[in-house]
Amino acid sequence: MLKAFSSLFRVSVDFSRSHLLFPKIVTVVLLLLLLAIFLVYGIPYLRDVRRGKRTLSVSGRRFDRLRFFGTIVLTIVYFLSMDYVGNFFPNMGFGFLFMSMPFIFLLSLLCVHGLDRRKFLALSLNALIAPTVAWFVLARLFNISLP
Amino acid sequence: VDLLTLLSPMSALLVAVGVLIGIVFGAIPGMTATMAVAVCLPLTYALDLSQGLALLLGLYVGGISGGLVPAILLNIPGTPSSIATTFDGHPMTLKGEGEKALKVGIVSSLFGGLFSVAILAFFAPLLADFAIKFSYIEKFLIILLAMTVIASLSKNLLIGIFSGTLGIWLSLIGTYDISVGGNGKTRLMFDFMVPYLENGFSLLPVLIGLFGLVMILEEAEKGYREQTLGADVNLSARARFSLGIFKGQIVNLFRSASIGTFVGMLPGIGGSAASVLSYTQAKNFSREPARMGTGVAEGVIASEASNNGLTGGALIPLLSLGIPGDSTTAVLIGAFTLQGIQVGPLFIGEHLPVWHQIVAALLAANLIMFVVMFFAIKHVAKVITVPKYILYPIIIMMCVVGGYAINYGVMFDVWTLLLFGVFGWGAQKVGIEIVPLIIGFILGKSAEVYFVKSLESFGTLTIFFTKSPIAVFLWVLIFLSLGFSVYTTIKDSRQNKRSGKDA
Repeated sequence: MLKAFSSLFRVSVDFSRSHLLFPKIVTVVLLLLLLAIFLVYGIPYLRDVRRGKRTLSVSGRRFDRLRFFGTIVLTIVYFLSMDYVGNFFPNMGFGFLFMSMPFIFLLSLLCVHGLDRRKFLALSLNALIAPTVAWFVLARLFNISLP
Repeated sequence: VDLLTLLSPMSALLVAVGVLIGIVFGAIPGMTATMAVAVCLPLTYALDLSQGLALLLGLYVGGISGGLVPAILLNIPGTPSSIATTFDGHPMTLKGEGEKALKVGIVSSLFGGLFSVAILAFFAPLLADFAIKFSYIEKFLIILLAMTVIASLSKNLLIGIFSGTLGIWLSLIGTYDISVGGNGKTRLMFDFMVPYLENGFSLLPVLIGLFGLVMILEEAEKGYREQTLGADVNLSARARFSLGIFKGQIVNLFRSASIGTFVGMLPGIGGSAASVLSYTQAKNFSREPARMGTGVAEGVIASEASNNGLTGGALIPLLSLGIPGDSTTAVLIGAFTLQGIQVGPLFIGEHLPVWHQIVAALLAANLIMFVVMFFAIKHVAKVITVPKYILYPIIIMMCVVGGYAINYGVMFDVWTLLLFGVFGWGAQKVGIEIVPLIIGFILGKSAEVYFVKSLESFGTLTIFFTKSPIAVFLWVLIFLSLGFSVYTTIKDSRQNKRSGKDA
């Protein structure tokens, strides 16, 4: 009886397949938890939706579409262009330097509220100075690789 | 005091720089100590381990301490860990006692910090000595325990566990590394991903994305509103600060610092819990509980002593077990891996000089924090006014540097930043908790090795229960923490139902 019991827990691990064992367990646990979460929270939530108590959309609260998606698009363009420009000057960090300036400038413009001449001047100067300082300190002084 | 002589002039300078930058980060609402450490990590690429750590520990202490400035002056916690400072700190400002409140906070921070350094110096080597005897089985159980503690202390047990498991799952993407005894095969991905994800997601871009970019995206969603700094913030001291305020508060100081240090040791719960917990305790023990919240020094003392107590506490499990105690120490793990050093039970013994430097740096950081903040508080208070449109683009730029440089120039790491930035933003919307996820991500790979290797050598699942008395004890702790959390969940939901009926 005891022997049968212990054989229940016996596991032999085949080395060539050992990379799959733990991920498989974690995936199963993850799916079980997802199911549990759906049962506990999802079903009551959907019931409320059907009764019209709640809506599925998350919006409704203040959501600044322009600034949110603007930030994401700018960041993507920034990353792409940095890589592209950087390839012309390998190991110089110029891609980073030259692309950070317009990025910081544009993102600042996107962020700012109530733009006036003083603010415009400040953010333009910042866009020129900040990347230069960062580039000089990191790439030149510390020899850190930049795109 | 002897310890301080261990610090080279260079390290001392780095601590000071770190503290200064940290205070600035901490003082700006929305930017946390974790972010300060994450954003400044690239600066340490060029330094050696002890210098890098000097800088980062300075940032950690400065970041936690700086949060008290806007908490007291603006009623906005600069970091989550100074949330309870607002309860009494801001009312004090309204009474014209702003400067007094700031200085009380600073002195309490210093005390909490020093207290936790002492505990760290004493306790971490002990725990490490004990943990050296652990085999893979105990190590696996320790990780399991850490994960259950995190989950049971998160807002929602089920979702907490889910977040942690998701973190582990994400960490497993990539190769089962040969250097730790794996077979070098990839899993959890499609073929086209192999060139990018052969080594999985790098820790640092993930961390920087989750802590740096997420915050920017959240601010973007809200439209980058500037905090309006009321014109009524005047620091003109109507009430002078004197050490006499602390008379009768010694117990409060010790209690709060201990709570902070203890909470720091538990993995995954951060400074906000420490601060709120010690505030409520101070209220429970107060002679005049009704006055708490109306602007008494007692509340500020409780909150600030505990959140700085957190710093040393959070380093204890990190340096003795390799398990981060909060989100900031999770990022610190990145600094260690960067230098090719594995933190764990062997760390203190094998790197004794570094360990001494860590303690010295932490001590120095607290002292420097005190000097800077106590005597220059009026100038520090001004940094709250740095506008976001200047700051945020720079932060994204620094995130890029951190992501790109970590593996000496891999563009995919930069995309990882963005990927996890957007993921983290969405995850928080659906309620997934970031801290359990991060800790799962950090510990996932080790958990796999310990688990699979244990099974390979023993061939039975029961070994996890029968290996040693320590294993049994760890199981007891695991079930206790689960039971505790189930119990509180049930109690809460009953209370909710009852209050629902009353209403």
